[in-house]
Amino acid sequence: MKRTTILAAASALAMVATGALAQETLKIGALTTMSGAGASWGNGMKRAAEMAAEDVNEAGGLEVGGTKYQVEIIAYDDSYKANEAVTAANRLVFEDKVKYIIGTVGSAPILAIQPITEENGVITMTLGFTAQALGEDKQYTFRPNPTTAEVAQPQIDWIVANQGVKTVGALFPKDETGEAIAGDLSAAYEKAGATLAAKEFFERDRVDFIPLLTRIIAQGVDAIELDGNSPVTAGQIVQQARDLGFEGVIIRTGGPATQEIVNVAGEAATEGMFVHSAFDPGVASAKAYEDRYVETYNEPMNGFSPFFYDGTKMLFQAMQDAGTVEDTEAVKTAYENITDYEGILGTMNWTGADRYGIAHQLDSPFYIARVTGGQEEIVARCTSAGCE
Amino acid sequence: MSFLIAQSLINGVILGTLYLLMAIGFTLAFGVMRIVNFAHGEFYMLGAFGALIGVTWLGLPYPVTLALTIVFAILFGAVIERLVFRPFRNDELSGMIASLGLAMILQHGALILFGPDPQAFPAMVSGVFKWGALIVPKSRALALGIGIVILLVFYLFLMHTRHGRALRALVQDQEVAAVFGVRLEIMYPLGLGLGIALAAVAGGLMAPLFGVSPFIGATPLLKAFIVVILGGLGSIPGAALAAILLGLIESFTSSFVSASAADIVIFALVIGVLLVRPAGLLGRAEV
Repeated sequence: MKRTTILAAASALAMVATGALAQETLKIGALTTMSGAGASWGNGMKRAAEMAAEDVNEAGGLEVGGTKYQVEIIAYDDSYKANEAVTAANRLVFEDKVKYIIGTVGSAPILAIQPITEENGVITMTLGFTAQALGEDKQYTFRPNPTTAEVAQPQIDWIVANQGVKTVGALFPKDETGEAIAGDLSAAYEKAGATLAAKEFFERDRVDFIPLLTRIIAQGVDAIELDGNSPVTAGQIVQQARDLGFEGVIIRTGGPATQEIVNVAGEAATEGMFVHSAFDPGVASAKAYEDRYVETYNEPMNGFSPFFYDGTKMLFQAMQDAGTVEDTEAVKTAYENITDYEGILGTMNWTGADRYGIAHQLDSPFYIARVTGGQEEIVARCTSAGCE
Repeated sequence: MSFLIAQSLINGVILGTLYLLMAIGFTLAFGVMRIVNFAHGEFYMLGAFGALIGVTWLGLPYPVTLALTIVFAILFGAVIERLVFRPFRNDELSGMIASLGLAMILQHGALILFGPDPQAFPAMVSGVFKWGALIVPKSRALALGIGIVILLVFYLFLMHTRHGRALRALVQDQEVAAVFGVRLEIMYPLGLGLGIALAAVAGGLMAPLFGVSPFIGATPLLKAFIVVILGGLGSIPGAALAAILLGLIESFTSSFVSASAADIVIFALVIGVLLVRPAGLLGRAEV
């Protein structure tokens, strides 16, 4: 009797042990914005990571160096705030022991967590638009999405030339992201032969833009630029500018957000708005991703999401190339060495050595679209060299 | 320049009226029950969701939705008074903390039910009224118009009905009012219910302008606080004066200087008033 008990216990133990061997877990953090104004971006990023994880998990796990890993996404919300991002980063790095973080959405949050992540060799993948996010001293930070710095000039050149825009007004959030974008845009409009004549800065949680827009419109601008604002805020600005009788051109240079802007402001207010689009529904793999997103989450896809899906899949490939998930220095080098990656959006390569001092910026094609009846219609195709 | 002045004046009056709706409910609840209701902003949020549900889910006309919001808010307020605030009637500090807890419960309840994403509210009207260069968006004119009507009705109720007089008597002196036959068991729930209804209808009016999410209550609560502190806690004429003042300061400073300057000026004014007239512009000093 006793012997069989021991035997049963031993075999149970053995089963648990083999089970554990087959079920190694790779934890990846998703530190994004899931509440408040930036939530549509943050959810798009988190879900991109989830879908990339689902892909490998359904195929039996990610095989790296002879071991199969089930990928688990651990998600925390930073509410687009630097202090909350730091709390979450500490939890991810020191308690959950993750070595890879998809995030953050904001510029201030990524700058705030870099002292933790860079120090501990944690690879981060940020959406943050600030030029300071990437740099030679920030070996573990990557950015899979193009920013204003990459797309602004060709796009603004095209719109200024084709729409006869001379003076532009803009509202920016009063933080690192807003300041960076305001500077970039001023220079870009200047170069294209127009001026960013009226600039206003506001606190991110503001919802009433009428006084600020009154001031901007009183200066007689031809166009209002929305770049730098979260999708919901941009929608409110569009709605309130049209409410004040503004009839000029509305431009959204960076950051795909058309669907959310239309949701907030309505089809009538957004008619004829020029937007940046990273997404051509004519590309079959991109369309398939969008369909899957909508089907899984029952919400329109945020335009940044595909970049993070591609970025996460590239990261998985880098782990396989490096043959390790533990040694992030080797994974980082393998990640940098990926060339001509065939992603869902097209062919991806690293760029940015000239601009940032490190080639951690993904380069991809983009488009200018005109909003008609609430839908994007592509009017020009662009590369970093120009639009036509 | 004169265009900017006139336009800022219009913007300021609209803002001020909307702040007034929030502030009057807040100050009434304080005047009647002596409770600083931190959950006031959450009732604004609930009112906005109520309007969203009525208009987009149930397809009701906007005025019907607003009327229903008021009725439900009064009933809800009466229930809240019975369940949450009654045990703290003579205990301001505990009542305040209970209201903080209530605020968290309501906000997170909304978060669980509706999710964190802001929801778009369909525009009720579009276009603008134009006089020369002056522009008033129809959407804001509508909110202003309904707001003024509600404030007028409320004023008439307070000044010329038996219950209104009883509420005013309660604000002045609870014991004397009780001695003269004011029935506290009815007036307390009614006072809180009306206060909450004003916040909820403000939420319903603002929803088409500013959108709806579980987090929208914080800003109007802060504005109501500022208005009530400027005007004097419990003083309704004080709240009216302070709300219009606040709207004008915010609008003029934002249009002529900058948005951050507006915040600085407003809080400097609050500190100044507290130093010079601690009871507020038209408030009575506590004895």
